[in-house]
Amino acid sequence: MEIKTEPGKREKEWEPRIMAFLCRWCSYAGADLTGSSRTSYPPNVRILRVPCSGRVNPLFILKALRSGADGVLVSGCHPGDCHYTAGNYNARRKFAVLARLLEYVGIDPRRVQFSWVSASEGEKFAKVVSGVVAEVKALGPNELFRLTNYEQTVKEQ
Amino acid sequence: MAEARAEVRKEDLVNLVQDLFSEGRVDYFLGYQPGTVKFKTTPLIIKKGEDIQKLAVDDYGHYNLTFYLKEIKGRVGILVKGCDSRSLLSLLREGQIKREDLYIVGLPCPGQIDPKKIAAALSCEPEDLEQIFRRGREMIAKVGGQEKTVSLTQALLEKCLACRYPKPLVFDTLLSGEYTAPISPMKRPEDDLRPKPAAEKWAFWSAQFERCIRCYACRNICPACFCPRCLVEENMPQWISPLPSKGDNFLFHLMRLMHVTGTCVSCGECERVCPMEIPLMKLNEKMNDDLKELFAFMAGVDLEKALPFRTYHQEDPDDFIK
Repeated sequence: MEIKTEPGKREKEWEPRIMAFLCRWCSYAGADLTGSSRTSYPPNVRILRVPCSGRVNPLFILKALRSGADGVLVSGCHPGDCHYTAGNYNARRKFAVLARLLEYVGIDPRRVQFSWVSASEGEKFAKVVSGVVAEVKALGPNELFRLTNYEQTVKEQ
Repeated sequence: MAEARAEVRKEDLVNLVQDLFSEGRVDYFLGYQPGTVKFKTTPLIIKKGEDIQKLAVDDYGHYNLTFYLKEIKGRVGILVKGCDSRSLLSLLREGQIKREDLYIVGLPCPGQIDPKKIAAALSCEPEDLEQIFRRGREMIAKVGGQEKTVSLTQALLEKCLACRYPKPLVFDTLLSGEYTAPISPMKRPEDDLRPKPAAEKWAFWSAQFERCIRCYACRNICPACFCPRCLVEENMPQWISPLPSKGDNFLFHLMRLMHVTGTCVSCGECERVCPMEIPLMKLNEKMNDDLKELFAFMAGVDLEKALPFRTYHQEDPDDFIK
């Protein structure tokens, strides 16, 4: 759907939507701490809690982009701190391959970002989110998978 | 002379397969038979010792026969080229097949001939080629009664140009024949897409995947795709719509790649069967190069080494993580 705005007005109105997959033990608790310690961060993230960063299937990341998220953030425990011992190590291998593939097909690496945030790093979480939002804002809306006319018609019916 | 050698190899193979069936060592044998079109060789599945005489050994056996092992249960004899033997090893490593159920006949491979490429090099139609044979390290093609010379680079399948394993890595019996690497030095043509800027890459792959009709031929022929229920057929939830569209095609192709990571041996079957001629091997080669760079892993050469996604090291690269 095309939003018609006057030239120059668009940047003001458009706010990126970031899909964040946070691990239940570290990053989600870290995000909680950010809130309870009254640190503010951009409200552009939609947080989804997952049991572990190892739970994040590359499909989730692609599906989020396909469904119109402007950026994706995946965050888990620091290496060595995983609640399940090795979930984040395994995740790291998958993401390393995925990140390179995304780069190869021409998806800007800034759209899909990864971070380690522990439960005590409320400040770092705010910083990571601000960073991602600023970078995605600079990139502009995700129009990679914009619906074709045919799909649009099917959806409207 | 090449023909004479092929005859000897065919005779050896027929005798061997006959012995295998009469001794009751296999229930099926997977090999090649001459196709209905010139310069095409198609798969042959032999049951209960029928059709053994139809077996053919030539340089047009492009098929990677290991993908039948997903379907055929029982003791199977199989003919493998060097590259196919890597598929076999990776399936053994994944635990998809059992070594004791297999009787492997190795075929030393001097490189598989691609008549389409020869026709393109001689600027004629593939149907115009009357005869193709080797002479030393060159290929001779007869067109309109005239002998024309093409180089091996112009005549062999792309994947054969970078072949490192012309001799099968695993076998019970090895047929006679040369197994020197077809081209020396073995070199894959550079992928000129890799250094290009993101926008150009996106434009390239968008144009490619917009054409995909989602026939799933690439998935069905792939020896490394062995999920009993494929992701694209999941409907609770439906991750990927069956309607071919650029976005869903991207999801399908990237997820297919992620699923075959560590099992894909760049056998090139997906690209060969693609009716829309999408250069899928560019993606597979990129992924396999990444695995080599990131984790020093190469699929289908080692039965001991852990699969890349089943293991980890503390010092794995993580410079992309904040």
